[in-house]
Amino acid sequence: MEEHIRQIAIYGKGGIGKSTTTQNLTAGLAERGKNVMVVGCDPKADSTRLLLGTLAQKTVLDTLREEGDEIELSSIMREGFHGIKCVESGGPEPGVGCAGRGIITSIGLLEQQGAYTDDLDYVFYDVLGDVVCGGFAMPMREGKAREIYIVASGEMMALYAANNISKGIAKYAKKSGVRLGGIICNSRNVDREIDLLKAFSKELGTQLIYFVPRNNVVQRAEINRKTVIEYEPKSTQADEYRKLASAIDQNDMFTIPTPMTQERLEEILLEYGLMDALKDNYNI
Amino acid sequence: MPALNEMIEQPRFSCAIGALQSVVAIPRAVPILHSGPGCGDMVSGFFERSKGYAGGDTSPCTNFNEKDVVFGGSEKLRKIIKNTYKVLDTDLQVVLTGCTGGIVGDDIESVVQEFQDAGKPIVSVDTPGFKCNNYVSHSHVVKAIIDQYVSLYEEDNKTRSDRKLVNLFASIPYQDPFWKGNLREYKRLLEGLGLKVNVLFGPDSGGVTEWQTIPKANFNILVSPWYGKPITDHLKRLYGQETYWFHSVPIGANETEKFLEGVLDFAALQKADIDRKKAEAFIKHETDRYYEEIDNLATFLLEFRYGLPRYAHILHDAGYVVGMSKFLLHETGVVPKEVFVVDNTPEKYREQIEKDLASTSDKRTIPVFFEADAGEAQETIKQADHKGRGIILGSGWDKSLAKEKNCDFLSVAVPSPVRLVLTTNYVGFSGGLRLIEDIYQTALHTYG
Ligand SMILES: Nc1ncnc2c1ncn2[C@@H]1O[C@H](COP(=O)(O)OP(=O)(O)OP(=O)(O)O)[C@@H](O)[C@H]1O
Ligand code: SF4
Ligand SMILES: [Mg+2]
Repeated sequence: MEEHIRQIAIYGKGGIGKSTTTQNLTAGLAERGKNVMVVGCDPKADSTRLLLGTLAQKTVLDTLREEGDEIELSSIMREGFHGIKCVESGGPEPGVGCAGRGIITSIGLLEQQGAYTDDLDYVFYDVLGDVVCGGFAMPMREGKAREIYIVASGEMMALYAANNISKGIAKYAKKSGVRLGGIICNSRNVDREIDLLKAFSKELGTQLIYFVPRNNVVQRAEINRKTVIEYEPKSTQADEYRKLASAIDQNDMFTIPTPMTQERLEEILLEYGLMDALKDNYNI
Repeated sequence: MPALNEMIEQPRFSCAIGALQSVVAIPRAVPILHSGPGCGDMVSGFFERSKGYAGGDTSPCTNFNEKDVVFGGSEKLRKIIKNTYKVLDTDLQVVLTGCTGGIVGDDIESVVQEFQDAGKPIVSVDTPGFKCNNYVSHSHVVKAIIDQYVSLYEEDNKTRSDRKLVNLFASIPYQDPFWKGNLREYKRLLEGLGLKVNVLFGPDSGGVTEWQTIPKANFNILVSPWYGKPITDHLKRLYGQETYWFHSVPIGANETEKFLEGVLDFAALQKADIDRKKAEAFIKHETDRYYEEIDNLATFLLEFRYGLPRYAHILHDAGYVVGMSKFLLHETGVVPKEVFVVDNTPEKYREQIEKDLASTSDKRTIPVFFEADAGEAQETIKQADHKGRGIILGSGWDKSLAKEKNCDFLSVAVPSPVRLVLTTNYVGFSGGLRLIEDIYQTALHTYG
């Protein structure tokens, strides 16, 4: 694997906005002239839809299933917005087989087929929400992504998940050199969200690298199978994603996270009034 | 039992899927492996000469590969079952799952259910290697056949309706290299008492039709220190059958008599309606024949007393270790020294086994080691220092140790590339005589 390729994995709670953020951010990088590949590591195969303007080409695993492992790169990789190379690992139908192994298999195949070419500046792995088994930690392992960004929000479960993912990173950090590059807040418009996330990031020994506001243009673009950058290039939201892209491009803070105990995490949540807000919402 | 992260150098058992050999041992039954191709290979390599009609690496197998891990292997299994029907004419199919299918969580039951619904005699059982060893999974296989096949015939085989019929659970096919002969001998002896016997495995069983009559049996006989116990527990729950439990392998006259008398007492309690007089006459006849031979042996033993083994090490499962120890000490005068139970006996049975062994003699204690790693056992033997000529009774893997220790050697356990066993039995009166023949034969072989 070429050292100068920045390989980045995006993790975060299910549904938090990983795929949306990854695609918008890579669109931003591509606009800046960067050569990017996005590898979707999710059986849903929806990690490149906005870049391609269509729901995935054939996935790596579909191709493997139908054609055996003598795969042509051209049949699984397609170019999307601004020449971004798009690959979907794919996976079994829900409830059968082992999706985790699917990820290991398909990343292995990509390597074999020489998908990681020297001209690439970035490879992004968009991993499905819950890292339920070893397969989903594959992108963090030796020789794969060296940088992780966690997408989170001011909601309790998003932070629980981020803390857990950090445990995984800390575990792999010693062996594979993987580092946490920061937390991306994908706003849910929760009270004091930005303060909470800053405090959380600090406790985790990392930074809040960017705060992406919530904006309905994201959904409109999504319906049209486009990133915001492509759909409404002049919108403020498009600029937000460009700024996120630039923050990541220029990032030089890579740390081994210091995950906190459950108690400490809840303390921080209490401090920022999240628990109160939650209690108020329970109108049984 | 060694801690999980400890390595076992020389296991004398196989992983769970090794119980496919229990299926091979049922006439006209076929195992179908939902596993990688290596599993069947491992099994046939371990047991040697064990393929039967379609066993070991000749069993139909889904050859579970990477694609099946990712997408699940159910479809492939469905296909292999269908194809098995096309090429093999069998009475019972038993699908056994290996590690890969087990980890991926393939829903084997529902695939097999489809065929069951279509009226096929087919059974599925979960035997991934990480689950347990074959001593344990043998019971899983038998229970699965009872639950998914035998139960279909309960209507015609009313619970405990045949007072003289018993189900016998003793030697594990292939894991006990003498299983075939042993089962035949048990059957002969029990029939001699006036009972009818379901031996269930081997050419002396009646195949699946015999299995169908399991519920009819009045009671069960379990000859084993621990393995197979879950089967009889299960039958007690299902059909209310009680079990006569004999804890070690009866070899020679002492133990065989004790075994048969015990069966007779138990049969009486179960109202089996046995002609006790006739039964006792049968036992006496067998005993007389046995001692006739032992008497003939006396002069030989006297003449050769300095050239014959004086002590023995045994490496075997708990049933044989206790059975052989008793036999050697009481009926041959060869003194069992350190003996090794290498079957990974569950903790809760160990005390009973130790007690049983201690009952052998009140003058001597036989040092017994529960050692799932026979490599460790060999180390202990290497360190041991005993006077006189010794013999090692173990698996083929102990042959070079015997050479090193200048001991005689007799292969009595798996794996053994150095001995061919067809129908030899070690249980019963005749089994005792055969064991004497074999022990002295190896000693005599070194003369002349
Ligand atoms: N900043 C935002 N403003 C408004 N809507 C957003 C924003 N970010 C994401 N969304 C919406 O949230 C939904 C979930 O996003 P997305 O599919 O990217 O999540 P994900 O983390 O990839 O989910 P999964 O874990 O299932 O892969 C989408 O419908 C998306 O349009
Ligand atoms: S341990 Fe697993 S893979 Fe190995 S032979 Fe046993 S079932 Fe097969
Ligand atoms: Mg996603």
